[in-house]
Amino acid sequence: MVSLSLLMPKVLLTDARAQSTNRRIFVVIQLGGGNDGLNTLIPYTDSTYHSKRPTLGFHDTELVDAQSKSMILNSQFGLHPALTQLKDLYDQNRVAIINGVGYPNPNLSHFTSMDIWHTANPTNPTGTGWLGRYADEKLAGQSGLVAASIGTLPKSLYGDQVVVPSISSFQNYTYQTDGRFTGDRNNQINTFNANNNRVFDAGSFAETIAEMSVGAVAGAAQVQAAVATYTSPVTYPAAPNPLSAALRMAAQIITTLPQANLLYVQMGGFDNHSAQIQGTNKLAGTHFTLLRYLSEAVKAFYDDLAAHGLADKTLIMEWSEFGRRPNENASFGTDHGTTSQMMVIGDPVVKGVYGEQPSLTDLDQAGNMKMKVDFREVYATILNKWLGVDAQEVLGGSFDDVGFLG
Amino acid sequence: MAFTNEDAAHLLRRMGFGGNLDEISDLEARGKEGAVDYLLNYQSINNQPLDDLLAASFNFADPRDNNRFNQGEIRRWWMTRMVHSRRQFEEKMTLFWHNHFATALSQVQEIYMYIQNLKFRQYGLSRFDDLLLAVSQDAAMLIWLNGLQNVAGSPNENFGRELQELFSMGILDPVTGQANYTEDDVKQVARAFTGWKFRNPRQAGDPYNVEWFVQNNQHDNGNKTIYAGTPYQVSGNLSGQDVITVICNRPQTGRFLTKRLFDFFGYPLTSSSEDKATIDKFASVYASNNHSIKELVRAIFTSSEFFSERARYALVKQPVEYIVGAIRMLGADYRPGANISGDRNQTSNVLAGFSRNMTQDIFNPPDVAGWDLHLGWTNTATMLERFNFANSLVTSRNHTNPGVSITNDQLGKYTKSKSKKTVNKFLDVMNLFGVPKQVKTNLRNYLETNDQGVKVGYNRDDIDKKIRGLVHQIMCLPEFELN
Repeated sequence: MVSLSLLMPKVLLTDARAQSTNRRIFVVIQLGGGNDGLNTLIPYTDSTYHSKRPTLGFHDTELVDAQSKSMILNSQFGLHPALTQLKDLYDQNRVAIINGVGYPNPNLSHFTSMDIWHTANPTNPTGTGWLGRYADEKLAGQSGLVAASIGTLPKSLYGDQVVVPSISSFQNYTYQTDGRFTGDRNNQINTFNANNNRVFDAGSFAETIAEMSVGAVAGAAQVQAAVATYTSPVTYPAAPNPLSAALRMAAQIITTLPQANLLYVQMGGFDNHSAQIQGTNKLAGTHFTLLRYLSEAVKAFYDDLAAHGLADKTLIMEWSEFGRRPNENASFGTDHGTTSQMMVIGDPVVKGVYGEQPSLTDLDQAGNMKMKVDFREVYATILNKWLGVDAQEVLGGSFDDVGFLG
Repeated sequence: MAFTNEDAAHLLRRMGFGGNLDEISDLEARGKEGAVDYLLNYQSINNQPLDDLLAASFNFADPRDNNRFNQGEIRRWWMTRMVHSRRQFEEKMTLFWHNHFATALSQVQEIYMYIQNLKFRQYGLSRFDDLLLAVSQDAAMLIWLNGLQNVAGSPNENFGRELQELFSMGILDPVTGQANYTEDDVKQVARAFTGWKFRNPRQAGDPYNVEWFVQNNQHDNGNKTIYAGTPYQVSGNLSGQDVITVICNRPQTGRFLTKRLFDFFGYPLTSSSEDKATIDKFASVYASNNHSIKELVRAIFTSSEFFSERARYALVKQPVEYIVGAIRMLGADYRPGANISGDRNQTSNVLAGFSRNMTQDIFNPPDVAGWDLHLGWTNTATMLERFNFANSLVTSRNHTNPGVSITNDQLGKYTKSKSKKTVNKFLDVMNLFGVPKQVKTNLRNYLETNDQGVKVGYNRDDIDKKIRGLVHQIMCLPEFELN
C-alpha cells in the first residue's frame, strides 16, 4: 500500500517539478561493511525474527525512541530506535523504504558485493560505475564542478569522460606554491599546466593522471572561492559523527556551486561480526551509534537544504553492500548476509514501505534471505524519474519501476 | 644482457624506495644478479647508522608508557626506517606484507601492530607456510578477523573467509578462472581455527612476547572436510596448521602470490594467455623451492619480465614511495627528532601525516583487502596532496628542527651553469629518463622567466627560488607519479 504525500499530492508534485528550475540534486550515502537491514527496518510481528535474534531482536514494546515516541511504521514494520529523526521525516512523507533489496547469486565478499552495486553488474562487476556512466551521458561537457565525492572516490563514480573530484578537506584543496616567492607563482602554474596539458598514450596511467591533475588544480580554485561564501542557519551534529561532517561539506558545495548536483558520501563501520550492541543493551553499541549518526546527520542536511530552498530539488539514496544473516552469532553480532533495506529520502519521494519482507523460514543454503527487489530497480527508478536519463542505457538492461517517485 | 644505470634505478625504486646517483651507480656495478642478491641478502648490509639513529630517537622499552610508545610513534619509527635504512628491501617487503595481511590500528592496538611488523621482518622471506602460520597465530590477526570469537559450536567465519580470499588463493584461480573454495569451505576452515587465542606476556621484562595457544574446550575437534570434490579434498580432525599446509600446497597459492607480487613490484597482470603463462612460470618457482618467498622474489626481480619495456613505469607510486623516494633521490634530510624523555614536542611525524593525506595511512589500511594500488591512489584530492607535499619539501628551509628539509648546497650539487644541463641533471636525479623534449623546454622556460612573465635568462645562483621551484615542477609531472 502506497500512501500519497499529504503536503504535495502526486499530480501537483509533477507540475511543481516541471515548473522548478532544472536542478535535480542527487546525494548518495554509502554505508560500508554491510548494514544490518533486518534490525533497521524491523519485522517485529515475525516470530521467526525473534527466535533467530533472542538478544539482538527488538520487540514491539521496544520500538520507541529516547523520548518514548513510537518508531512503528505500520502493522508489520518498525524502525530501529536510533533512527528517530528519519522517523520524523517519514511521518512528513519524505522517506521511502524499499525492503528485500539484493541481486541474483548474492556474493558475501565485501569487495565483490560493493563492486556489484557500484558497477550495477552482478555477473561482471568491473569497469565503469553506474553514476560514472550517468555523468558521462548527462554531465560531460558541462563546465564547473558537476559532481564530487567527500572522502575517497567510489567506483560508482568511475566514468570514461567525467573526472569527479574527491575532497576530504576544503582548506587543503588548493595548489600551493612557495610562500617566500609569491611573484613566481604564476610561472609555476603556467609550467604546471603546460606539462600536464599534453597528449599521452591512450589508456595509459600518465594520461589519466595528467587529466586528473589539471582538473584538480582548476577545480580546486573554483571550489575554494565558492564554499567560502557558504552560510547556514543549521547546526550540524558535532564530531565524532563522520557522516555529519561529510554531509555538511556536501551542503557547502551544493548551496554555493549551482552546477554541483551529484554528491557522494560514505560512512563505514557496519561490519559487526561481534558486539553489534553493548553487552546485551540494544540501545547502545556500534550499530545503534552508527544509525544514530545516520539519522542525525541526514536530518541536519535536509534542514540545511530546505533553508536554501533546495529541499524539493534533492533526492538522497542510502545503500549498503549487503545485509546481515538473520541468525545472531555467539558474539552478539551477525555475519555477512544478503538482502537488506534501502532508504530514499527527500521531498520528491512518495512515502511508504516498498518491496517485500523476505521469508525468514525459507532461506538460502547459507541461511540468508532471498531477494525480493533487485537493487537495479531502485537505480532505474531514480535514473528514469529523477535524473532524466534512459535507465536502460546506463544499466544495460530493463528494470521495473519500484514506485517511490510516483 | 648489460645491466644499465636505468636498470639499476628501476630495480632500486622497486625493491626499495629509490636512491641517489651514487647508490644507483653502486648497484649498476654489481650487475643484475649481483644487485638483486645484494638487495635480497640485506642482513649482510651494515645498517649501523640507522640503528644509531633509532636508538637516539625512540624509546620502546616499555610499551605501556603512552608518551613513548603510541600510534604516532610507531608510524614515525617506520617512516624513519624507510628513509634511512640501507636495507631498503627489508622495508619494502615489510610494506608488501603489511598491505597483504592488512590489519589496522582502527581496531588493533599499536603494540600488536608493532609486533606484527616485527613478524613480517622475521618471516618475510621464509617459506610462505611459516609466514602464513605466524601471521595467523599473531595477536593482530586474531583480533582483526574475530579469531578470538571463533569458538566450537558457533564459529565466526571472518578469518576462514579472508584466509582463502585475500591471504592465500583468491576467490578464483588466476589461470583457470575456477572458484578455489565454496561457502561450505569457509565454514569448515573456520572450524579448524576455533579456540585460537593469545596470552599477554607474564613477565614485565619481555613486554613484546605475546604467546599463541589453543583453548581446548573451545576448539572443534570434529571431522572436517575441505575442498570436497576437488583434487585437494582432505578430511579429518583438521587443525588450523593442517589447513594452512593444504592451502600452501595448492598451486593456486603460488599463482595468487605471484599475481600479488607482480601487482606490487612488477606490473599489473591481466587474464591474457601471456600473463597466465607468466603466473605459472613463477608459481613453479614457488612450488619447486619448497614455497620459499626469497627464491620466488629472486626469480621475479632477475626475470626478463621485470626488466621488460612493459614493466618500466608501469606502477603508480604509492604515497610512501612518492614521499620517501623524493627525499632519498634528492639527498634531502628527514630528522625524526628524539623522544627518549617522553616529550613528543621534540619530534616530527610529518612524513606519516603527508602519507595519510594521500590516503596511505601506514599501520592503518582502510580494510582487510589492503590499499587500492595504482589508480586507487589517484583522484583530484590526492593529486593535490602530492603536489602540496612536493611544495612543502622544496620550501622546507629549517635545517635544524625535527622535520624534513633540503639545503641550497645540496641542490647546488646538481645545478649547472646552463639551464639545459640543469634540467637534464635534475631529471636524472629524479629518475625521469626519456621525458619528451616539450617538457624539458617547459622547465627551461620556467627557469628563465621572471616574475613579470618575461624570459630574461637563467641565473645559476638563484637556487633558493628557481631550483626549488624546478624540483617542485618536476614532482608535478605525470611521469613522476609513476614508478
